[in-house]
Amino acid sequence: MREITYRQALNEALDEEMARDPDVFLMGEDIAIYGGAYGVTMDLLKKYGERRVIDTPISEAAIVGSGLGAALLGMRPVVEIMYVDFIGLAMDQLNNQVAKIRYMFGGKCTVPLTIRTEGGAGRTLGAHHSQSLEAWLMHIPGIKVVMPGTPADAKGLLKSAIREDNPIMFIEHKMLYNLKGPVPDGEYLIPIGKADVKKEGKDVTLISYSRMLQFSLEAAKVLEKDGISAEVVDMRTLLPLDMETVCASVRKTNRAVIVEEDTKTAGAGAEIGMRIIEEAFDHLDAPVLRIAGADVPMPKAPNLEKLAIPSVESIVKGVREVLA
Amino acid sequence: MIREIIMPKLGETMEEGYLSKWLKKEGERIRKGEVILEVMSDKTNFEVESQYDGYLRKVLVEPSDQPIPVTTVIGYISDSPDEPVPDVLQTPRIEPEKAVTTEKIDSKVQDAKTAVRGDEKIRATPIARKIASEHGIDLASVVGTGPQGRIERKDVENFIARASGPSSKVQTAEPSETIPFSPLRKIIAERLTYSKQNIPHYYLSVKLMVEQISKIKEIKKAEGVDATYTDFLIFLTARLLVEFPLMNAAVEGDRIRLYKSVDVGVAVGIEEGLVVPVIRGAAEKNLEQISNERRDLAERARTGKLKKEEIENCRFVISNLGMYGVTNFQAIINAPGTAILAVGAIQEEPILDNGLLKAGKTMWVTLSLDHRVIDGAYGGKFLQRLKSVVENPGQIYL
Repeated sequence: MREITYRQALNEALDEEMARDPDVFLMGEDIAIYGGAYGVTMDLLKKYGERRVIDTPISEAAIVGSGLGAALLGMRPVVEIMYVDFIGLAMDQLNNQVAKIRYMFGGKCTVPLTIRTEGGAGRTLGAHHSQSLEAWLMHIPGIKVVMPGTPADAKGLLKSAIREDNPIMFIEHKMLYNLKGPVPDGEYLIPIGKADVKKEGKDVTLISYSRMLQFSLEAAKVLEKDGISAEVVDMRTLLPLDMETVCASVRKTNRAVIVEEDTKTAGAGAEIGMRIIEEAFDHLDAPVLRIAGADVPMPKAPNLEKLAIPSVESIVKGVREVLA
Repeated sequence: MIREIIMPKLGETMEEGYLSKWLKKEGERIRKGEVILEVMSDKTNFEVESQYDGYLRKVLVEPSDQPIPVTTVIGYISDSPDEPVPDVLQTPRIEPEKAVTTEKIDSKVQDAKTAVRGDEKIRATPIARKIASEHGIDLASVVGTGPQGRIERKDVENFIARASGPSSKVQTAEPSETIPFSPLRKIIAERLTYSKQNIPHYYLSVKLMVEQISKIKEIKKAEGVDATYTDFLIFLTARLLVEFPLMNAAVEGDRIRLYKSVDVGVAVGIEEGLVVPVIRGAAEKNLEQISNERRDLAERARTGKLKKEEIENCRFVISNLGMYGVTNFQAIINAPGTAILAVGAIQEEPILDNGLLKAGKTMWVTLSLDHRVIDGAYGGKFLQRLKSVVENPGQIYL
């Protein structure tokens, strides 16, 4: 299979969906002429013109709010928030309007809005540009939260998101854009709300998503050398959670380790771990462990930034503890 | 992670110890294997080593002359210097951590490893508990190898593998089938295993001459009362049990409950297993009443129509396998009862009576007794009385 980057995969998804459906258009800061802060929308202005690839003023509330308006009128907008850290500025639009309107009007309208953004640490961009805020978003009934961890999933999930009639928070990871991986030729979709077993194993289940999936797969390779067989489950979607896949794996391995980049306190892993306890308690052979980000603002110093999030080493250490 | 430091149990008989001194200060870094405190017991000082790397986060108990019960939490070790500690002074102990101690005797250093296992709640993982309960395993008998002695899946599975022995694994190659225990079978298995494992059984046998019973049986039959030998034994033993209250008793922990009513259980084999319906107040009932009641209970046992109250609260039991030609056997006591009488087949055999050889009918009975409650002499006296009334039943009415 051909190998392309996560960035190219996302670009292909946008390109294919724009070609397929004239209602699909893009809006965001620096996405048209500049091609996006991380280059995901590169060359799409040339191909689809300025009516479908629109540079906006610097106002996240306006970007999300006008995206909602367009969606209510039947368009399929894909809007971009440059950093997930800025979603706070659009939070009223997102939480009170985007997520609620279909429900409050008794289903008379649909909201086929995709909000693309990216998050995570790794480029030493400091506390304002490195956060993992998925847990905030998981707390909003009415939206779906998608966080792809591979190029192939990024493409298939973004295409599904654009075709979905409900609002989607689509959170990419800034450190994955250059990640190369096999991506099928031609048309394919990855269902939203479905986790994926990325590696089979029998001793412990590593549950992760986004960049931490890549760390978990690396850790699983290290553990394999010690004779520890780790199964790696990629959540892919955080809202709704596919607990069926998670619990099937936990029933097999009896041990669960959640690897997440967001802060440990009230993070995504807290929800996943609690659901495991509720739904697979009798199958646990060790306490559910979280390997998570530190409860600190993301440090700017490169050495501290590394320490503030999980690493392959800390995952390996955690798994060894659970298996001790 | 916060880990507890406990007053270690340094010997089988050690119940409490004295904290002589802390060798580390609060907040000080501790290496695994470093001596952190000294404990005095039986006039000997023990050095207690840390099982973990970390920090001495909190000292809960200062050195003093006050004895401290073993497994009491006396401090906490933490992974980081500022981890919050539990705010209760004495958290309930779950599983004492293992302490490696070095005993100083005559300046010789001796290793004494203690694996403490108090009578506190057993730590086991959910899957370990599930598997144990499915196999009827008491977790108290399983040794945990997980963190702080936690029982894990592999511990229970190893326990099962050891218990079932190597043969169970070989069988897969042979043509065979497995049948799951029925609910009744599970109860039987559980109760009899409990009884045989926990009650110190012993057995007393006696051969009874049943010529007299046999004669009365014919007379009664002619009168229209078709009583069996079992009915006669119920009738007679019920009257004897009034004289031997310890055999009409139940063991409750370290107490014996004695009953006024003489209730005799009768073991009845049914298709799915075995049930023991009870004839209440048997000492007040005549032979005909006992015979009718026994017949009715046995019939309803076979058709599964016994009521719950007809099979519970059972103590003394009579079990007769004579109809299968079994001449004698030893039965398992029906806990919490203290005795069971196993009755064999009637045999016709040559008997010496005052030097004269004649044909006679005999029957072996074997009494199983709980030695915690009943000693040999008491049981022997009971059998002596039983032999006397069986061989001379008229005395019951005199």
